[in-house]
Amino acid sequence: MIAIAITAALSDILSSIGLSGALLSVITYTILAAATFGLLAVLALILVWWERKVAGHMQQRFGPMRNGWHGWYQTLMDGLKLLQKEDVRVETRDKVVFFWAPVMCFIAAFAAYIVIPFGDGLIVADLNIGVLYIMAITSFTVISLLMAGWGSNNKYALLGGMRSAAQVVSYEVPMVASILVVVLYAGSLSTVDIVNSQSGNFLNWNIFRFPFGPLAFITYIIAATAEANRTPFDLAEAEQELVAGFNVEYSGMKFAMFFLAEFINLFTVSAIATILFLGGWHGFAFIPSFIWFFGKTFAVVFLLMLFRWTYPRLRVDQLMEFAWKFLVPLTFLNIIIAAVFKHFGWYWEL
Amino acid sequence: MTDLRTEEFEINMGPHHPSTHGVCRLLLTMDGEKVVKVVPYIGYLHRAIEKICENRTYAMCIPILDRFEYVTAMSCNYVFSLAAERLAGIEVPERAEYLRVIMLELNRIASHLIFFGTTAMDIGALTPFLYALREREYIMDLFEMTCGQRLTYNYIRVGGVSKDIPEKFIPQCRETIATITDKVEEYKRLLNGNPIWKVRTIGIGKLDAELALAYGVSGPILRASGVDYDLRRDDPYSIYDRFDYKIPVYQNGDVFDRYMVRLDEIQESCKIVAQALDGIEEGPIRAKVSPNFKPAAGETYTRIENSRGEMGVYLVSDGTKKPFRVKARGGSYPHLQLLPEVATNCLIADLVAIFASFDVILPEVDR
Amino acid sequence: MTNEELKSYIETNYASLLTHNEAGKYDLLFIVDAANLVSVCEKLRDDSELLFDYFCNLGGIDTTEKFEAVYNIASTKKKIRLDIKVILPHENPAVDSVQTVWPAANWYEREMWELYGIHINNHDNLTRFLLHDEWDEGYPMRKDWDAPDFIRFPDL
Repeated sequence: MIAIAITAALSDILSSIGLSGALLSVITYTILAAATFGLLAVLALILVWWERKVAGHMQQRFGPMRNGWHGWYQTLMDGLKLLQKEDVRVETRDKVVFFWAPVMCFIAAFAAYIVIPFGDGLIVADLNIGVLYIMAITSFTVISLLMAGWGSNNKYALLGGMRSAAQVVSYEVPMVASILVVVLYAGSLSTVDIVNSQSGNFLNWNIFRFPFGPLAFITYIIAATAEANRTPFDLAEAEQELVAGFNVEYSGMKFAMFFLAEFINLFTVSAIATILFLGGWHGFAFIPSFIWFFGKTFAVVFLLMLFRWTYPRLRVDQLMEFAWKFLVPLTFLNIIIAAVFKHFGWYWEL
Repeated sequence: MTDLRTEEFEINMGPHHPSTHGVCRLLLTMDGEKVVKVVPYIGYLHRAIEKICENRTYAMCIPILDRFEYVTAMSCNYVFSLAAERLAGIEVPERAEYLRVIMLELNRIASHLIFFGTTAMDIGALTPFLYALREREYIMDLFEMTCGQRLTYNYIRVGGVSKDIPEKFIPQCRETIATITDKVEEYKRLLNGNPIWKVRTIGIGKLDAELALAYGVSGPILRASGVDYDLRRDDPYSIYDRFDYKIPVYQNGDVFDRYMVRLDEIQESCKIVAQALDGIEEGPIRAKVSPNFKPAAGETYTRIENSRGEMGVYLVSDGTKKPFRVKARGGSYPHLQLLPEVATNCLIADLVAIFASFDVILPEVDR
Repeated sequence: MTNEELKSYIETNYASLLTHNEAGKYDLLFIVDAANLVSVCEKLRDDSELLFDYFCNLGGIDTTEKFEAVYNIASTKKKIRLDIKVILPHENPAVDSVQTVWPAANWYEREMWELYGIHINNHDNLTRFLLHDEWDEGYPMRKDWDAPDFIRFPDL
């Protein structure tokens, strides 16, 4: 609503000075994109700091403590440090691919936020193919990782790139299959429609709503962990095996772009989980909707962080086996059963 | 459809790689993710310890040998002192023997804790490493309290030990071993039931008893392969015959069993320390030995059970103040030599797990 | 089996091959002829009373007149230990490889070749590994080895 109000106010101002049509929408969307970008940049910094705090407290230490209260601007300082670092470029790299890989990773990570509603009406554009768009655009990450692996001309990086390609492509299938269950019940691919279909009591959230909602949620979370390249599925950058995998040759700001993109991806998959399964911005009326959205998303992020600092890493063949022999059949079965239930109307609508 | 042309490629794992635990270089020939051939290259940490020792008196050798295997420097001190004592025929006072056993076992626990942490980290679980180091810190505190050092102790000397333990050592030590015994149970709960940990360790890097013996494998790795052989019992030294402890033996010889043997050994070592603390009595801590003592001409190969297997010193004396020849034998040397036999045709992630489970430490290999 | 029993057993059964040496303190030390080394080692390993299945260590010694190679072996089943020593001439020392008996000997022999210049016959991979590949300053563990930056500790 705020966004819509702002957009309306903005277009009022702009049209009053004589702008209209295409130029108007270009300017409006540029401003919205800049706002989203700013929000996400801050968010990534917070997430990095939070991850370090979570890791620290799980490991009986404090994490960053020096910069500000509990080190709250530690990540900012790290970013400044990375900015000043020398941009090491290996002589044997593939110049074009090496340069564009982090850019691509960064863009793919941010582009998904066009259709993510941060609150009631807080959305850049409500596309009617929203979910499909997210799936498509986040898949670009894998191309960038592959580019990074190939462009570095380093065998470790190449192995990391290949691993991530195999992994993300495999886990895309169960992830989409889990989402399909929700889409089936919501009857729409638009993220706003899906959230609106879960309004009212929390029993209306998709995770509680269908007999197979919880299962879809669990399979989604597993696939999302793999999609975000996090432990136990962080094979692409397994530092004990491949040193740092695809980003081993990157330094300075290019590394920072990969690093931030990783955390943005983490937030993306959690936000999708919130939208699809946890009722998006819906909650009790007296708390603003965006707080509900961020609260739920941060809870999912926290869950993924707990995974990361608890579990060992799977091996690459076990990862594939798990995806194809267990998750894919399970999610497909879930779709079929959900479709049958939907057909006979065995679900509640409060 | 014709097959795609594939090519094997070579990859250098090390000399500076996070999971080679030091400066070891493994030249891997890879077929995709699969390791077809492993060739270990060592020598990056060769400090000519043996040559330096030939150039020093016996007492001066001990701090040099501290650097031979710095994770269990007490054992290095001890094995050299024991060899020199055997050559010179020195009797060690009772209290010194007890102190030595306490220090050796505490150091074994510390070393196994490092193993636990690094293995878990190499398999991808980062958190247990911090837990293991947290418990190791208590032991380091005890060492620091006793001899002022945390890594290279120079504590066990020829004829006894350098200093007596301070008054608060015994209560603090009891507390520490009680904590560690509990914490080992916690470690087992943390990892043993984890399905990912299981698939990553059970059945990986199988080593049968025959191959292990042929390659001179010793210590926990040999016991994980089902060979019940522990030098503390089978080639007795010091006063280990006075204590009641079990020697854990597992049968499968995979990564999981090597890990379990070490965790069990931590608990057994805690028992030994507890008994030694009960049995220790007042008395002298060092026999009268001149710093420039001259053992009679002769030679001996002395070996003890270290946390990484058999640690030995071949000591030749020609009747002068300096040893004529010091040959230090570390447990990791044959283990690294064995690596190609075990790790060929596995995936690179398994190679890392196997390497971690061997608990190779490079200063011991390169000397 | 105690050391005395082991000594008398070896002296009765291997009288022609192994001679006892008094230099060995605490452990038994036997001298073996370089030509018989591999066959003696095989016998020691396969003798059902001894079963020396475990190779502990191999060290070279430079006595300035001779070279010596000492094999420290043990039996995990009989819980006994034995040292066997081969005495080699100072000119062109060479000894047969025992890695057919104990594969563990491989690296120890390589090391002895590298640091003492004792050539190992029938060794499958006699290449440098402790010293760097371009090393050409002789055999550093020999007593007469010297280098400009090698400072001998003064006699006290």
